[in-house]
Amino acid sequence: MAMASMAPSMRQFSLCLRCVRQPGTANRPVNATSLRFLSTTPAVRDQVQSETPAPAQAESKDVPEYMRKWGKLDPNRVEDKRTERRLIRRDGVQPIGSRRRRAVLRRTAIRKQEEIPFEQLPYQCFQEARKVLLEDRQEKLTAIATQKLRLKNLMEQDPAVSGGQAAKDARIRSMKNHLNELIILADINDPIVKKKFEDGLGDMNKPIYRYLADQKWRKYKRLVLQQRLTQMDVVPDFLPALDPVVDIDLAFGRKGYAPGEFVDSKISEGPPRLNVQSFEPGEKLVSVVVVDGDIPDVQKDGFTYRCNFIASNIKISPTNPSIPLTQLSQEDHKIKDPAAKRVALPWEAPWANKGAPYHRLAVFVLEQPEGKPLDVQTLAKIKRYGFILRSFVDKYKLKPLGATLFRTKWDENMAGVMKRAGYGSQAKVEFKRKRVEPLPYKRRTERMR
Amino acid sequence: MNSSIWRTALRPLQNSQFRAPAALRHPTQTPSATPATPSTSASPFSTTATLQKRKKQGPTIDPRVTNIRYHLSHPLTPRPLHFSRTRYLRHWTIHRAWMLFLRKRRWAEERDLERQYQAMRAACEHLRCMDENGMEVPKSEAGGQGPDPGTLGPRGKEVGRLYRNAMIKRGVAGSVPVEYARAQVDFPSRDGWNHEWTRN
Repeated sequence: MAMASMAPSMRQFSLCLRCVRQPGTANRPVNATSLRFLSTTPAVRDQVQSETPAPAQAESKDVPEYMRKWGKLDPNRVEDKRTERRLIRRDGVQPIGSRRRRAVLRRTAIRKQEEIPFEQLPYQCFQEARKVLLEDRQEKLTAIATQKLRLKNLMEQDPAVSGGQAAKDARIRSMKNHLNELIILADINDPIVKKKFEDGLGDMNKPIYRYLADQKWRKYKRLVLQQRLTQMDVVPDFLPALDPVVDIDLAFGRKGYAPGEFVDSKISEGPPRLNVQSFEPGEKLVSVVVVDGDIPDVQKDGFTYRCNFIASNIKISPTNPSIPLTQLSQEDHKIKDPAAKRVALPWEAPWANKGAPYHRLAVFVLEQPEGKPLDVQTLAKIKRYGFILRSFVDKYKLKPLGATLFRTKWDENMAGVMKRAGYGSQAKVEFKRKRVEPLPYKRRTERMR
Repeated sequence: MNSSIWRTALRPLQNSQFRAPAALRHPTQTPSATPATPSTSASPFSTTATLQKRKKQGPTIDPRVTNIRYHLSHPLTPRPLHFSRTRYLRHWTIHRAWMLFLRKRRWAEERDLERQYQAMRAACEHLRCMDENGMEVPKSEAGGQGPDPGTLGPRGKEVGRLYRNAMIKRGVAGSVPVEYARAQVDFPSRDGWNHEWTRN
């Protein structure tokens, strides 16, 4: 830092900063990053990080003799000021984490101690808290056993005794709900469960992890999804109502797209990859339908629908959420039996005319009734143009589980995409705004000129 | 607040063109702040006490300046609480246990209140169905049916007199119900004192 070259006033400011900010500690020398003022040179730390691969090859040649004597320095283990400074000087690596953490790591490594498992950490309050929680868990487990017994007894009971079949069913339902609640409550206070879930290691076969995942989804992703679905009018336009219960992630290739994002026409030429995370136990048989809701209809002076894709009889479960539509169609090519195929209408690239407003492509995941497969050969006869999703859902008694959408509009690749999709003639069509005739009293007349 | 570059410099600013506000300037720089020390203080015949003289040697720092400097380098908000992963999990565990404890205690308190309420209710019900001789009558014959506790049943005033008395809300002192003003007991009798009564 060239202090002398600075203008006096500038120097004052850096003085101010030095007064205000904390003076440098051993981890962060005084002249390092945070004290620079109005400088375009990169921060010291940034330089260090960008240079980290470099010293490996420079180490053998350029390191002077006295530096080699320092031996190997581990950024995870350096503990005192001197070794930290040496690490930064020689290897150009910042020590990782706090000094306290590094000291603990180093000392445990020296003593070859085994790491204490989390539950056995010797903190009194923590252990007392664990005792309370374990006691509560025991209570919950006995309550679960009791509830199961009660439920079993109720199931065996004569409906006449329980006050009719309907009353009995209602009671069974509420008892099952209570049982599920208890099962969640038994595990919800376990820190290990929380940790595993946060690490993404939760087993989705277990109700507690499904519950946690569902809560997390509902806290943020579902809200965003619902906002997009309503803002872009998917809900009244495609289906009258929708209550999403599965988390759908849409991706083209490796890149994920948020609901409602614009997708480049070249990218959406191939089918997307769906990740349909269900939070209910058991397998489900679903159909995936992709509908374009903004196909311009010139005769009508309006818009109509067009179906881009239908696939049926796809199995999903909480542990097996992935639906790669590309792979699905590739597998279908190998299957000889036409009834066993799953793709009814193969993917057709979404397209938009030049000058026309953007197209909304809604992706729906529909649950098939009672897990029964649909006949793909009949579905294959569905006309793409003017496809009405409402009647499709009604006809096959499907239950919408969730939806997502992406948008497409005219871009530089669109002409090629349309040509390859067989809509070469459409690519030349350009939509323009209709000229609005001015009202008579606003019309410019001879008199006005 | 910390990021503002317009905070005043609190270093001695001899060589700068930057002028600090008068209140923050060092007392030695501001002639008005320096006390007029007599030049004769160096005289061997000075009457000034030694201690008092010695005090003047070092630069005196205005306590206001010290105070301002302290508050400028100590932000109002304390630093945020950062925990490591396991520390946070331990914290969370303790928090959950504490919440569970509170919940259980609240539940027990509510049950206790409920028990007390039910006991009072049962007592009132017992009074309602009691006739003059302390015998229980069937509920259909008792008064106090419906919202008004003063309604009489088919047996009239004979049944549930104490109940009706207990339910009088007139003369409630402040927010204390009349039931608490006097224990609801079986005397004095409605007929007044029996002067004829003798022990055989």
